Amino acid sequence: MSLRNRLARWSGLLSTGVRRTLSRATDTNQQRIQFTVLGVAATIALLVVVTGIGVGLATSTTVYDDDVDYWIIPDTDGDRSLLVATDQPQFGSVHDTNDRIRDHDDVTFSSPILAEVLRAEHGDHTEFVLVVGVINSDGLDQVAGVSTAGLTNDDPYYDGGTAGGERTGEVVLSQSAANVLESQPGDRITISNAEFTVEQTAAGETAGADIPIALVQLSELQELTGADGYDQADQFVVGATTPGVQSELEGVYPESNVLTRGEMTATSVVDSDISLALSLAAFVVALVIGTLFVLTTAGLEIVADRTQLATMSAIGITTRSQLVLTGVQTILLTGIGGLVGSIGGLGLIWLTNAVAMETLTTEPIAVAHPLFVAYGVGVALLMGVLSMPYLLVLTRRVTGGVPS
Amino acid sequence: MAVPTLEQRTTVPPVVNAASVTKVYTRGSEPGRFGRLIGRSEPATVEAVSDVSLTIRPGEIVGLAGPSGSGKSTLLHLLAGLEVPTEGAVQYQDTDLASLSNRRRTRLRLEEIGIVFQQFHLLDSLSARANVALPLVELGVGRRKRRQRASELLERVGLGDRISHRPGELSGGEQQRVAIARALVTDPTLVVADEPTGELDTETGRRVLEEFTRVAEDRAVVLASHDRETLAIADRIVRLQDGTIVDSADA
Repeated sequence: MSLRNRLARWSGLLSTGVRRTLSRATDTNQQRIQFTVLGVAATIALLVVVTGIGVGLATSTTVYDDDVDYWIIPDTDGDRSLLVATDQPQFGSVHDTNDRIRDHDDVTFSSPILAEVLRAEHGDHTEFVLVVGVINSDGLDQVAGVSTAGLTNDDPYYDGGTAGGERTGEVVLSQSAANVLESQPGDRITISNAEFTVEQTAAGETAGADIPIALVQLSELQELTGADGYDQADQFVVGATTPGVQSELEGVYPESNVLTRGEMTATSVVDSDISLALSLAAFVVALVIGTLFVLTTAGLEIVADRTQLATMSAIGITTRSQLVLTGVQTILLTGIGGLVGSIGGLGLIWLTNAVAMETLTTEPIAVAHPLFVAYGVGVALLMGVLSMPYLLVLTRRVTGGVPS
Repeated sequence: MAVPTLEQRTTVPPVVNAASVTKVYTRGSEPGRFGRLIGRSEPATVEAVSDVSLTIRPGEIVGLAGPSGSGKSTLLHLLAGLEVPTEGAVQYQDTDLASLSNRRRTRLRLEEIGIVFQQFHLLDSLSARANVALPLVELGVGRRKRRQRASELLERVGLGDRISHRPGELSGGEQQRVAIARALVTDPTLVVADEPTGELDTETGRRVLEEFTRVAEDRAVVLASHDRETLAIADRIVRLQDGTIVDSADA
């Protein structure tokens, strides 16, 4: 058979497989096919929800913002959490370093980030909030999902190595912080015995930022936490116009990592043991259950289909070609199941967050990301691939003979 | 092409030749070592075809007649290579079908033999045209040619306006005609058909028989039928009873 004929055969088999599967799913064999798709979808939806919760646990207090391109974080040897406000190495001389980073032509903004959980008070209301110190500048629109618009640029309290400048006392509260403290713009609140004026509330758009957060000038937070001695911060966030900046940022501190958004998420999840365990367990359970489900339903489908398979053999369709048709059907059904399950999973994440915030917490506990759709479809396809050997052996066994 | 005379036909090598063919079916499974130990008896056997010899030459239409259970369908399956004989041999041209692997026998059916089943056995999730074109997919024929050839054949059996319909949307007669078109799509040398007009009305049956007569000009056709009119197009009628040939005569 010439190459052209081979290609025609393959494309013919693939298109026949696709048409046959879709026709069975929508017309001739609806129930069995839809049962397979729904089984895969349910498993994948569960996987996406648990993964969303795992990622949510790992990244809930990480300073995440859409505009940030790079994070510079201390090298943690892999044994410490990347979450802010935990006991981890910090960077020193961050104001000077920030000036150096900003001098780079391709950097649009940068800021050191220091975060501590501190007691905040307003009237009779006292609450622990995550206080985040930043050096505001044009381009840095929000930090941890809270708008920086209410903060004066360039941290005026910091004065060349000492906190000797003019103290602003500015604070921007996230919606949940404003709610728990019952404060609004213009109110004066106390954080660790220092007075601040609420400039803005509820600004920002990142979903994960419904944690009670107070955004303040970096040096004013350093003074409260004792981090002013060496001008310390936990990490830097940097916005850049070109990817080439990453290599230069890597030279800023000798023992640091410069992470992109994807790397930051991955590192956060991997370094957070519970999140990693949760996500891995969900992956393994979903894969095993999903594969067994596909094996069972698709196996029954093949056995029920033995007359059609025997007919194909009788009219000269080789077992190998029948295996291609079975393979196309399996992959297509698991792929569709994966897609339906992933989208359903995102919906369940929304539902989980809504229920959690209504009953348990003040912030979302699970993160939803469009990448979960690709992840869900990928895992579903893997289920299909893992089921394939058994289904192919079964097809080989039931085909042939005289169609009855 | 002129239809060869009977004398001319006997001089050309046969398309298919069954020599002392016997087919025995076993009812149930063998008892196995443990089964024998506990006294399970050997399963019952049924001799569907017994010591049948039949030669079919190109251009010949052979009709298989006989009551139900006489072995017509089994003989058709043996001639088409769907089954191998328990004893004897079926030779397709110079090849003993039992000596071929399953894969090669399937390939032979694809290229050389068209089969029309009594129950049509169309793939219910494919359209009429896709059903007819399926063997061409296996042969690696391009999409356009496949569609063209399948449409042409469906047109010829009077289903030009039903090409996109699935078997479930077709009547029994229409399904039978789709099955006939599928059997002819690869231009086979041998066509075997089990009750090919069983579901057809008189007019459609006549058209289908004309089609068989037309295709038999350059290939062999074996028809198993109870129907007198169907058998009337045969050059030779072989009568079977209880698995053996009781009569073979030119029509």
